[in-house]
Amino acid sequence: MALATVLYLIYLFTPIVLLFVGSFGHIWFNTLLPTGVTLEWYLQVASDGSFRRAFWTSLQVCTLTCVIGALIGTPLAYAIYRAASQQVRAAARVIYLLPIAVPPLVLAFGFILVFSSDELPFLGSLWILVGGHLVLTLPYLLHTLIGDMRHLRLTEQELAAEALGAGFWQRFRDIVLPSLRHSLASGLITVAALSIGEFQLSNLVAGFLTRPYPVVLLQAFYGATGFACAATVVLLVLALAASAGGALTARGAQGVHGLSA
Amino acid sequence: MSEPEYTIALEGVTFTYPGTDIGVHDVTLGIRPGELLAVIGPSGCGKSTLLKIIAGFVQPSHGRVIIGGKDAAGIPPRQRNIGIVFQTYTLFPHMTAWENVAYPLKLRGQDQASRRAKAVDILGRVGLGTQTEKLPAQLSGGQQQRVALARALVFDPQALLLDEPLSALDAALRVEMRDEIRRLQRMHHIATMHITHDQEEALSMADRVAVMQNGRLVQVDRPRDIYARPVNREVADFIGQANLWTGHITGPTNVDTPFGALTTLPHGRNTGDTVAVLVRPEGLLLGRGPGGVNSFTGTVTRDRFLGSFRRFDFEIGGVTLLGETGDMGEIAAIYIPPTSIQLLPETGSAQS
Repeated sequence: MALATVLYLIYLFTPIVLLFVGSFGHIWFNTLLPTGVTLEWYLQVASDGSFRRAFWTSLQVCTLTCVIGALIGTPLAYAIYRAASQQVRAAARVIYLLPIAVPPLVLAFGFILVFSSDELPFLGSLWILVGGHLVLTLPYLLHTLIGDMRHLRLTEQELAAEALGAGFWQRFRDIVLPSLRHSLASGLITVAALSIGEFQLSNLVAGFLTRPYPVVLLQAFYGATGFACAATVVLLVLALAASAGGALTARGAQGVHGLSA
Repeated sequence: MSEPEYTIALEGVTFTYPGTDIGVHDVTLGIRPGELLAVIGPSGCGKSTLLKIIAGFVQPSHGRVIIGGKDAAGIPPRQRNIGIVFQTYTLFPHMTAWENVAYPLKLRGQDQASRRAKAVDILGRVGLGTQTEKLPAQLSGGQQQRVALARALVFDPQALLLDEPLSALDAALRVEMRDEIRRLQRMHHIATMHITHDQEEALSMADRVAVMQNGRLVQVDRPRDIYARPVNREVADFIGQANLWTGHITGPTNVDTPFGALTTLPHGRNTGDTVAVLVRPEGLLLGRGPGGVNSFTGTVTRDRFLGSFRRFDFEIGGVTLLGETGDMGEIAAIYIPPTSIQLLPETGSAQS
């Protein structure tokens, strides 16, 4: 058991460690490890116009996906959870889990068909990326939120609040939203990480000036190894930062309500 | 306008869950000002439905709910001004104890300082003066229960509904909380409906007890009257300890039971009728009765010493009788005074 765990961890972390080593290595050619230490590769990535643009595109898409996802996902999750009939809940569940089952490629081809038309010429825009990421990430957010609502027995809490004199909006503001702050945070972490790392759909629907980071990153592997490693480490850091940002945003939004009783 | 006789009155209230016969049927019941009425019955008998109807969470298909002298039809739960304590307490996990208690005051537009003062004050009265800043998760079950009670009382509701509030507590705490609830209820002089399946809880706390079976109200009486004069076999069985046998009337003062013939007081029933024969354990007396009436010899098969009294099983010809006595001597014979024997309808509906 312990051996299996160790082997698994080695398998998991070796590529990441090698990426770090490679990104700081000066020359890495026909040797097990690179020789020499340098920051040159990071400076190159930072000064590369297409990487800089991709970096900001990814941040924007991720932020918008998180904000819009939270704004749509929270009421939607609540509506599904409170839906009166069992059949409605089951149907909603199937529909919102569908994007997980459908390959992003299929989704992307659909996007291309719809948004390359004259009526909806949005292919290549930032918003098409945000829309795609929303479709792909919303299931995870909804799943987290609805699970938490069940766990918290939100219906019972709302019944109690109602008996104490709270109307619908008061309950939503005072009970539902604050109760969900933890699951909203963890849901948004997932959303942020997925959005930053998304490649399949983004690669097909992004325009030349709106390519997100992973799409641009692919090209790095045709160049110097050190450059590719540095660019990948940047993505890793970006994903971690986005996750932390998603969590902090949720905390901050909840803090406004959490403090006042 | 004078105070209505009942703070809450149900008149012929019927509600069944869609597609079933489960619910409550034709319930007429009143809770007087300041009274604690316990509603008791086995699970599924409709007692929780009754609470939901009064709270306004479900609407009766027939009958009227009158709260404070006014027909409550169409009044949503949040405007009924009734305090409710749920089985699971339903404290808001993200609010501290005082914030939970202050929440109904916040909804009523009181400013932060005054609602905080009120919440802290009432928490002090339920013995939680030092726990006001704690979150529900940091409180024990009994403490959460007290917070829930304080929250249900703080906004001076016109009535209090308690839905099995003690069932989640351990036995010792449950007994303590009975007294606590009763004390608060008296202090606030608030009409209270206490739903429970625990007959001891109902008998020890309530001014009156309402017994429900299969969605119908079968008896409403003071605890001692319910115990002394149950309306049918089920109520007798459900409330307190009981010896119950199926008997046949053999004469104007005679009934046949599985362990022998008994002489009763004149009962006015027809010879040949089937009845339930009830004798409470304390109705069994030791020795032989005057003139040998209803006297039996037999053997004690179990003897439980319970401090000031003992509860024993006494076997007569294969039938076991349950008795209670403070006499710790040998038991060779028992007798049942005719005044201890009650004849009840064997099953079903209440007598007139």
